[in-house]
Amino acid sequence: MNDWQSLAIDAASVVAWIVIVTGLAQTAFYVVQLVYAGIALAVRPPVARASLLWRRYASHTPPIAVLAPAYNEEVTIVESVTSLLALHYPDFEVIVINDGSKDGTLRQMIDSFGLAQVERFYDLSVQHNPIRGLYASPRIPRLLVVDKENGGKSDALNAGINVARSPLFCSIDADSLLESDALLRAVRPFVEEPTLTIAVGGTIRIANGSTIAAGRVLEVKLPRNFLALVQIVEYLRAFLMARLALSRMQVLTVISGAFGLFRRQLVVEVGGYSHGTVGEDMELVVKLHRHMRDRKLPYRVDFIPEPVCWTEAPDTWTILGRQRARWQRGALETFFKHRDMLFNPRYGRIGFVGFGQVLIVDVVGPIVEVLGYFLMPLLWAVGLLAVDYLFAFLAITFTFGIFVSVASLILEEVELRRFGSAHDLVVLMLISIVENFGYRQITNFWRLRGFWEFLRKKQGWGQMTRKGFKTS
Amino acid sequence: MSALGELWLVSLVLSAVAVLIMMGLVIARWIGVRRGRSREAERRRLIPLLLGIERSGGDYGQVEKAADLLADLATELIEMVRGEDKEAFIESATRLGVPERLQHRLDRGSPRVRLAAAEALGFFEDEKSIARLRGALDDPNPDVRLAAAISLASAGHAPPAVELVEKLGIGTRENSALVVGLFRDIAVKHPDEIRGLIESEQVNGRVKAAAIEALSASGDYSLVPLVANLVLAADPDAEELPRYLRALGDFGHPAAARAVHHALGSKLWWVRSAAAEAAGRIGLNDVAERLRTLLSDPVWWVRFRAAEALIRLGDEGRELLIATAESGSEPACSAARLTLAERGLV
Repeated sequence: MNDWQSLAIDAASVVAWIVIVTGLAQTAFYVVQLVYAGIALAVRPPVARASLLWRRYASHTPPIAVLAPAYNEEVTIVESVTSLLALHYPDFEVIVINDGSKDGTLRQMIDSFGLAQVERFYDLSVQHNPIRGLYASPRIPRLLVVDKENGGKSDALNAGINVARSPLFCSIDADSLLESDALLRAVRPFVEEPTLTIAVGGTIRIANGSTIAAGRVLEVKLPRNFLALVQIVEYLRAFLMARLALSRMQVLTVISGAFGLFRRQLVVEVGGYSHGTVGEDMELVVKLHRHMRDRKLPYRVDFIPEPVCWTEAPDTWTILGRQRARWQRGALETFFKHRDMLFNPRYGRIGFVGFGQVLIVDVVGPIVEVLGYFLMPLLWAVGLLAVDYLFAFLAITFTFGIFVSVASLILEEVELRRFGSAHDLVVLMLISIVENFGYRQITNFWRLRGFWEFLRKKQGWGQMTRKGFKTS
Repeated sequence: MSALGELWLVSLVLSAVAVLIMMGLVIARWIGVRRGRSREAERRRLIPLLLGIERSGGDYGQVEKAADLLADLATELIEMVRGEDKEAFIESATRLGVPERLQHRLDRGSPRVRLAAAEALGFFEDEKSIARLRGALDDPNPDVRLAAAISLASAGHAPPAVELVEKLGIGTRENSALVVGLFRDIAVKHPDEIRGLIESEQVNGRVKAAAIEALSASGDYSLVPLVANLVLAADPDAEELPRYLRALGDFGHPAAARAVHHALGSKLWWVRSAAAEAAGRIGLNDVAERLRTLLSDPVWWVRFRAAEALIRLGDEGRELLIATAESGSEPACSAARLTLAERGLV
């Protein structure tokens, strides 16, 4: 063997070890998350019936403003708002922010709810595009519609924050379907630790395939579409495993834009949602962490495992790919904007564990894994790597992936049992295995696309086609 | 085998074990669904017993076998109804041994099971249930301890409030808003105990605030000077100040005037805001001019509460708002103009 050959083998080994160690770090973190999620589920309070929740919490709950930004939602807006108004919570108001829709979203609401233009004294602390008018009706005192110039979701939410008068606000997507007792469930940490809790996230579930009527999920069923099915497994991993565990560790850096409960005043203090980012939900939580840590104030950001919100998952490759690229871009924007928090002792566990996790899973992970898909088989094929390296790579990308997905499903079945039948479990188990062969690799390419878009500083959400929920 | 080879092996074993466990769970679910059907039939059989329709016709041997199901069902039904129906369910459940089952759960269950048992046992006022709930005040889990205390208090069997504060760590380890309800329930039979907490120098501000909130709807105006003195004596940065002021607003008694006036000048906006709200609710017309100056406060919440308070003060407050709206100096002008417009007063 000559020097060049030896050098090539050494270089190949170094590349292989980088790929393997990065993958192992990810897997190790997932295993830790599984353990923490298991503990969190084991010690959580019982999932109470709605009537018991009401009896327990009704006289102690703070008022909540539900903020629903709407852009070109004329087909679904009336049903969505009607469903929001029917939420079970002692004291809440629904603020729909029409973000300069080009269709008849505002007209639909005015006509259906008998709204008229009103005056209201509101805060101007958070920046957003001008408000054109406020609409309300004495018949429905809980409803207020804000009509403003278009500025995007974060801009619309900022307008809602300014107009809201409740100590807590709940940000949702206009097309989210909330469980009727979602607010009562999500408010629990604010009741139990009123001085510490600053934000709470809840589990989002996929409604594709379920029976829906009058803005409510009546019967939970699995979708037939493969992409929707595989996203159910992904959401299990993301919510039941990752977010629950990160919340248990008190390092949660993301609360989904589809449902999040926040202490209004603190959000005002950090300037509300940031503009010019597609990861505004993650960025807000990071800003809150930074704010509280900078002031050395004790606080909690919590997550509740009970489902509070249903969403329509993309069921075509094109739209799903756009969504994943956008999520990746959002995570990177937040990470690099707040990069000084990474491994910074001033930010404690957020800097080390929270940002460390983002670094491994969102920043380095996708690049190294895709690199591995190309290089590992190639280097092995040309004889520069021993077969053991290839097997180790297969372990971190396929078999450990199966373990983590199936283990999340085990957690779900042991602790929550939200899927209707044994047949559903078999289907999801098979999907947990199959998704590692092809789908996982494709999502990594989508994430690389997000990386590329981030580097090119692409702005905006891209086209998101909404079909609306299929109602029965 | 090399370390890399072992990695492959470990991953294979872990995924195989996970799949096997999942298959076991699928089988368990399949069996569970079949059992669920018989469980549903069992529920239908037990409901008449709980309703008292089959008082003597039930097979009590079968009932014992379904003790857990019966306990769940009884709790569910008792929570759903009020008045005589509730009493009837409790009587039937007691006759069928539900309290004993719940006591058993409180002694031996997981924290989640113990918590549910502590909540449900509050419906039963027999000596054994009360004794078990008292024992649960020393449970290692704080949620179970609080649930037991709430159950005891709602049944009128709570130990002295001071003892509860110590056992539950209220104001230190336990800061749940549910403590206010706990104190409120205790105050139904023993208002002096809660009043004692307000007067005590041994408890911290959080305990006092919860006690004050618990009594604020009682209409006992003799508490007003006590709370007002707490406001005057409190550290200017005390987190409880807004809670004291809101309670003074609930009482609506003018004896709080000095304390409210003092708080209107606080350097902390949330104290000024709470004081403005209290001034409006009490109807303190002599602070109207002070409220008018707060319409120019840099913080929106203070301006909002001051404007609201001026509206509550009646003609005098409205006239001040109109004058401010016409004065043209911001931000007071907008606060006054928009508040008047919102109330349809312009």
